Amino acid sequence: MVLQIDFKSGTPVYLQLVDQVRHAAASGGLRTGEPLPGIRPLAEELRVNRNTIAKAYAELESQGVIETLPGKGCFLKQVNSPLTKSARNDLLVQEIDRAVVAAHHLQIRDDELLALVQKRLDAFERKNKTANDSKPLP
Amino acid sequence: MNTDTPVIEVQNLVRRYGRHDAVNGLSLTVSAGKCYGFFGRNGAGKTTTIKCLLNLLRPDAGGVRVFGLDPRKNEVAVKSRLAYVPDMVAFYPWMTVRDTLQYLASFRTTWNRDLEADLLKRFQLDADQKTAGLSKGQRTQLALIGAICPEPELLVLDEPTSGLDPIVRREFIETVIGAYQSGDPGRRTVFVSTHLIAEFEGLIDEFTIIEQGRELLTMNADAARDRFKKIRARFPQIVKLDLTGALNVKRSGREVEILANGNSEALLAELKSRSPEELSTESLTLEEIFVASDVLKKAHA
Repeated sequence: MVLQIDFKSGTPVYLQLVDQVRHAAASGGLRTGEPLPGIRPLAEELRVNRNTIAKAYAELESQGVIETLPGKGCFLKQVNSPLTKSARNDLLVQEIDRAVVAAHHLQIRDDELLALVQKRLDAFERKNKTANDSKPLP
Repeated sequence: MNTDTPVIEVQNLVRRYGRHDAVNGLSLTVSAGKCYGFFGRNGAGKTTTIKCLLNLLRPDAGGVRVFGLDPRKNEVAVKSRLAYVPDMVAFYPWMTVRDTLQYLASFRTTWNRDLEADLLKRFQLDADQKTAGLSKGQRTQLALIGAICPEPELLVLDEPTSGLDPIVRREFIETVIGAYQSGDPGRRTVFVSTHLIAEFEGLIDEFTIIEQGRELLTMNADAARDRFKKIRARFPQIVKLDLTGALNVKRSGREVEILANGNSEALLAELKSRSPEELSTESLTLEEIFVASDVLKKAHA
């Protein structure tokens, strides 16, 4: 998992890190039980305030994505979110709304958007497969 | 110390050189554990302000407090808890690197020997070399070691990376983040004055832009990046746009580039209503905000 930040994206830096870790977790870039980079080395590498990294990890922990083992670091948790199904749905709806609004501004039709979503779902499935089989794509 | 006490408090600070007002009514507050950027053009009053914090200059009016104390009355108490890296570093030329660090350590109650050894190795400094033979980059590295090893609560950096090569600059910042900040994070405050803003971008929590001795803008870095946006749009044909409220507008035929100051939603709505072919928004970096603050100043005038 390689993390990177973009100051121009308009998203606060710690949220960019949260998104990327969640993305890595969803796409197999980070597997259950695998450690996240330590706060200090990551802060040095990205040249951001260590508080920013700490804030991102705290957020990930409160979302139930990672867990901190004292003295050992942060690890990706088993994917069984502590949130109820409806709370999880609400979180996802916000994300979907953002994509819908963006699609509207970019003048992408509804059917095109749906096709795109399907395409991404397929892409993630393929990536997960490769991560699990660790075999290259045909 | 009460943790709510700001580490630095500057109130209506005035300092004149003859008839010239170097600092003219500046106020700012830095709380513990933050990395605070102090940006301004050459001659804006940055170094004068810092010298007042360190009691190297006396304010003509207003006041400064460091750790809640007056640096004029409690000079030792204040200075023992902070370290300062100036833009021009000077050492006794006849001393070696080791002598210099030992000399600096003799003024301190705490000195982290392991950290000193680590950093000497990291910077590849020869402890037996005379400081007279050090390059500008090596002098700054030595000054940084001298500033970090006492593990101070406040690190004051005045244009620390100007005149250094990119690799030394990068190492400098990594050391501030790594070696300094990771000690006791809640009590590691950085106050850095610089105009090489891009390098410190990720480190800065909050900043003040100073212009002609006065505060022009003080903001949280994330909030600032949220407030200042650059919007680009391209239209199928030349259109008339109502862009009142934009900080700056650049047009070139069918394309327009707008600087928004907190009203990007309204400006975006106006642009969208004209069905653009392309529309994109990006945040300004702190450096771009600093440059834009020049426009901001003219808008205020």
